[in-house]
Amino acid sequence: MLHRLESLESCNYNGMGVAVLERQAASLKWQQQNYVVQHNNLVELCASSMPQLQGLTGSNLGSGQMVELKRPEVFLGSDDFQEFVNFPVAGAEFGDSEKLDMVPPEAAADYCISRTSSCQMTALNTSVMKEEREDMILEKMESTTGSGRKSFNKRKPEAVADHKGKNKRIKGEGEPEVKTKCSTEISRNSSKENSKASEVQKLDYIHVRARRGQATDSHSLAERARREKISKKMKCLQDLVPSCNKITGKAGMLDEIINYVQSLQRQVEFLSMKIAALNSSVQFNVENLTMKEFPAYVANFPAAAKLPAMASLPYFQLNPLQKESVNCMLNESMLPPQTATEGIASASVSISEQSLSSSSMTQLQPFSTWNMDPQDIVPGIISNFKREYNFKCHYSPSYKTYSNDSDSYHS
Amino acid sequence: MDLQNMNPSSLKSRFATRFLRALTKINAQKPISSSSSREIFQRYRRIKVAADKSMAYSVRSRRSWSRATLWRLRTRSPRSRLATLARRSSVKTRTTRAASHGATVVDRKSHGKENKEDGGVEAEELRELVPGGEAMDLCNLLDETAHYIKCLTTQVQVMRTIANLYSLH
Repeated sequence: MLHRLESLESCNYNGMGVAVLERQAASLKWQQQNYVVQHNNLVELCASSMPQLQGLTGSNLGSGQMVELKRPEVFLGSDDFQEFVNFPVAGAEFGDSEKLDMVPPEAAADYCISRTSSCQMTALNTSVMKEEREDMILEKMESTTGSGRKSFNKRKPEAVADHKGKNKRIKGEGEPEVKTKCSTEISRNSSKENSKASEVQKLDYIHVRARRGQATDSHSLAERARREKISKKMKCLQDLVPSCNKITGKAGMLDEIINYVQSLQRQVEFLSMKIAALNSSVQFNVENLTMKEFPAYVANFPAAAKLPAMASLPYFQLNPLQKESVNCMLNESMLPPQTATEGIASASVSISEQSLSSSSMTQLQPFSTWNMDPQDIVPGIISNFKREYNFKCHYSPSYKTYSNDSDSYHS
Repeated sequence: MDLQNMNPSSLKSRFATRFLRALTKINAQKPISSSSSREIFQRYRRIKVAADKSMAYSVRSRRSWSRATLWRLRTRSPRSRLATLARRSSVKTRTTRAASHGATVVDRKSHGKENKEDGGVEAEELRELVPGGEAMDLCNLLDETAHYIKCLTTQVQVMRTIANLYSLH
């Protein structure tokens, strides 16, 4: 039957909807082949002449015949036959006689419908026709392009669904369903080799090519899209958080992200404490600090040598994140020092901050240790480190209580 | 990093200028009298608030967490419980409105925490950490977290440098 269709297409018809019409005819043919009973009735219809067919649309044929004719188009309402007949037509130049000549009389009933549709040019709503034609063309193009299958992702079908929604508003239930069925048939025609998903296409307006073994109802589709979005965002977060490289799985990564955010917030807190403390001892001249100088300081984070004390601390059970943050704090606080002692002093100051923060945040008396001699500080600090950082990354309650009590930020 | 190529309107420079200005204000307000721990603690509080505020202002209202932070800072009144509750509910509605673009899930989720089960326990923790996160679904929460992490790292960098400058002079 298909080659007859192609022969029709090769005829020199005017109007862009011709090929569309042929597709529709093909789709109708597929439909009607399922309904054996109606064949006979349709053949009867075919046998009648054109004027009779014209009369069909205007009058009620007889309930029996009307019903039979409607059966292949199950989705049509009672008065939809007329609309269906009006539906998509080529330009006005479409010649009835030509079509009749091309189609041999023993052609299947399917061509009858197209014939009948070709004669009803009178009661046309041209704007609607145009829209429907575009719709059909869109679907046809979708189906005929080589990448048609790929283009059946959600976006395009949503555009189609939008079209359908519009049409629904304009016309009524019948038309969109007609289109749906037609497009379903079209897609079936064009993608016979992709049989795995064609069976699952239903009469909803989002034509998504479902993957193998996956459901296609709208809820699961939305769920799947949402899950994909979330996994994409988790990947972005994985790049941001330095410790997430080896960890897969949502829960573990979320844990790492939480730890990282907590550690960053804590760093902000005690950096501000450090500034507060240093503020009290140093008169800081901001006017001297232009924006040109500042980036120089910011930029010069030396990858300088670690403090030798750190090397002698084998008992740490810091998780990599904590260790890294500790190292970063130590390294980056060491600006190119004017003298070696200054460097050590700054490093020891930062280490003492660590110990201070870890041991007794609730009381601020350890600030008196600011002025201690570096050599005295270091051993004490090392023991503090060992004590405080010997737990896992799920932090001790003292941290949490500290942050909850004294910090309105977390309230 | 090159001196000349530093973008004057980048997040880092915006935050740095604001924070330094706030610091000078704090220094000017309270003359450095004594190093009593209480005073230092107060100063610490002020500096921390200034840091958060300047970071939130640098981001303006483009992000939900910055909006939530600004709202929190504006209506901070530690005395009344009612104010806290009102703030929380308004933060929720505000962030719900802000985050509801295209996320139909939000309407369902904002009715209460017991409805939210996506992400589970960890997502709840994350919501507590990120300001304004209570009323967001997981998708937006991850977005906000990413931006928040970026801003926090900038903040830490700048503050660390300032602290080093302090310690050197």
